[in-house]
Amino acid sequence: MSAPRTSSSTVLPPVPPRAPIVAPAAPEAAVRRPPRRRPIRARLGPYLLLVPALIPIAVGLGYPLVRQFVLSFQEYGLAQQFGQPAEWVGLRNYAELLSDPYVWGVIARSIAFCLVNAALTMAVGIALAVLMTRVGRAARITLQVGLLLAWGTPVLATMTVWQWLFDSQYGVINWLLAEPLGAEGMRQHSWIIEPASFYFVATVIVVWMSVPFVVFTVYAGLLQVPEECMEAAQLDGANAWQRLRYLSLPMVKPVLLVVGLLQVIWDLRVFTQIYVLQRAGAPTRETHLLGTFIYSLSKEFSLAGAMATIMLVITLALTVFYIRRMLRDDV
Amino acid sequence: MTRVRTSGLAAVGVGLMVALAACGGGSETEAGGDEELRLWLAGTDTPQELRDYLVETFEAQNEGAQLVIEEQDWSGLVPRLQTALASEQQTPDLVEIGNTQSPTFTHAGAFTDITDMVDGLGGDQLLEGFVEAGTVDGDVYAVPYYSGARAVFYRKDLFEAAGVEVPKTLEEFGEAAVALQQANPTGAPNFSGLWLPGQDWYNGIAWIYSNGGSLAEQDGDEWVGALSSPESQEGLAQVQELFANATSAPKDADSAEPWVPFNNGEAAMFSAPTWARWSIDLPECNKGVATDDESEEAKALLAEQQACNEEKTGIFPLPGPAAGEPATVFAGGSNIAIPAKSGNQDLARNLLEIIFSEEYQTMLAENGLIPGNSEYADALGDDVYAEAALDAALNAKLTPPAEKWADVEGARILEDFFQEIASGADLEEASARADQLITDTLN
Repeated sequence: MSAPRTSSSTVLPPVPPRAPIVAPAAPEAAVRRPPRRRPIRARLGPYLLLVPALIPIAVGLGYPLVRQFVLSFQEYGLAQQFGQPAEWVGLRNYAELLSDPYVWGVIARSIAFCLVNAALTMAVGIALAVLMTRVGRAARITLQVGLLLAWGTPVLATMTVWQWLFDSQYGVINWLLAEPLGAEGMRQHSWIIEPASFYFVATVIVVWMSVPFVVFTVYAGLLQVPEECMEAAQLDGANAWQRLRYLSLPMVKPVLLVVGLLQVIWDLRVFTQIYVLQRAGAPTRETHLLGTFIYSLSKEFSLAGAMATIMLVITLALTVFYIRRMLRDDV
Repeated sequence: MTRVRTSGLAAVGVGLMVALAACGGGSETEAGGDEELRLWLAGTDTPQELRDYLVETFEAQNEGAQLVIEEQDWSGLVPRLQTALASEQQTPDLVEIGNTQSPTFTHAGAFTDITDMVDGLGGDQLLEGFVEAGTVDGDVYAVPYYSGARAVFYRKDLFEAAGVEVPKTLEEFGEAAVALQQANPTGAPNFSGLWLPGQDWYNGIAWIYSNGGSLAEQDGDEWVGALSSPESQEGLAQVQELFANATSAPKDADSAEPWVPFNNGEAAMFSAPTWARWSIDLPECNKGVATDDESEEAKALLAEQQACNEEKTGIFPLPGPAAGEPATVFAGGSNIAIPAKSGNQDLARNLLEIIFSEEYQTMLAENGLIPGNSEYADALGDDVYAEAALDAALNAKLTPPAEKWADVEGARILEDFFQEIASGADLEEASARADQLITDTLN
């Protein structure tokens, strides 16, 4: 349990996009200042203020990460948990995992699932954000409230409702298809028993839960696009689509990059939705993604640690392009 | 602005201090309280009356010692034990654990060897498969706490309408289920002769066991999946026949709440532990009492409702291949053991003796649980439920006592396997695949 959570949350620190700008800017300002030495207390002040943030990060993220890393090179199962010495096995755990075609299947599925979900979420989110800038106040508030509710509902409560909707015996979706729409064959249809159909349901749920965040962030970004630019473009004869494509979107690109990055990270480490759907009766082995697969290894702590480290590397590989681009654009 | 910041920092500081104080306080009481014994019970199966008895008796017999009973949820019990049992500060002193989960911990060295106590606790009278699940190389680490076997509930009126008699053999049972399904006396669109969801391996393995098959066999030091053996295949073929012609239950459901379709008139039979009788609630018997109504009137109505439900419902143990013999069903239940890291070994042994006393074992039986010491099972009573429970339990069998069996359950191999069978997969191929997975997991 702790292994997947650790690895995925350790990915988070690179996220705050603004931090790198502040850091280089500060020394520059200091250089230009007249060389009057400030009292030591004043110079230490900022670092002291960092301490409360650094301690929880070191304890909450650093320790599990180091432990996970160390475990991944050992033989560490239940017996070791109860006091038997842990044996160092070098790269055996990694070799065992990476030589198993099933593991590669899980990795491929996870990456595909992550990219499809992140892309869909971004597309729907941007579309809704643009819609919000165009509609009247009443419609906008209705949309906002709806999105907030979708965003604010606890994930397990949401999952219960979705599970009921797609339930094969008493689900509303099957009833709708069978009764008003007359598709009699769908009355007992199981939505999660085939992996493809399972991922379809999971995608609907994950996208539904992630869209509000994208909408609000992108909407806030779009509000910052200066009215004058849009007006000038309109006078120059740009139509609505061109104004969006060549003006608004490039202006909010930094926002889109950050939100997109977050989506990729979140969708790669998706756990709760998949786990709950599996428990609802899906074939477990055929529907594992990285998160649930690591959890299923959790009795062999060392294997789970190795898999979590592999997942960390995949996350970094998927996001390094984003992060580099973001840094370059900011500088 | 400045003021806000300062108070924010102060709040963080206070929070940290509180957190530190809380940690310190916790370990202090545990370190200093060696006269406090902690018993972990799993789930709500042990009634309050029995818990009170344990506390009173233990404290009366052990001057100055205190018994604290902490209830743990069944779901997530294994990971919780993995961490708690490994720590001297956190470990309970006596712990209840699912019978199929115990091999994982006995092999890991998590429990104290109590072989010397077994004779005093009941010896050969202790439930056999349960003791086996708690034994490693002849040493006993965990003993049976209670068992509950599965029996078949049926609607008498639907049997009558379909012209079906209570079956005497396993074969007749299959025929009855198919006949009920075809007759569909209630006219429900998804009627099931027997409610058998696709992932319900707890019930499904009864056919494997009854035909003499098993899930895995020990071969020297290795465990090997045994679903492909001729005996298992015979049982599985019967299960597949039931899936195809005797049930409309979803293939993506498990054994949870089988009484819901039964109550809805969508199933004529279901198989469950005998305490499922309290969940049967047929519409024609329902008196519409609000769940929070605690008046005398409401209680009387509820009693009437229960009597009506039990009047319309029958129960029988799943019959075996030969008439007059019950089938070999899956034995649910739990074991109890002393964690090796507990600092109160002697007190824990005293409590274990109280649990296996005649008085406590009788109390377990009176509450509908088959007690760990079968000598006292008579106290279950002689109503149809007790009889069905006992008959079923006599022949019941556990999952293989392999060290890593819990991993097989954790990986949900059998759920996936039975789902495949329910979906009409080729028996031999599906069994070979599942055998391979079981073998890989167990070794």
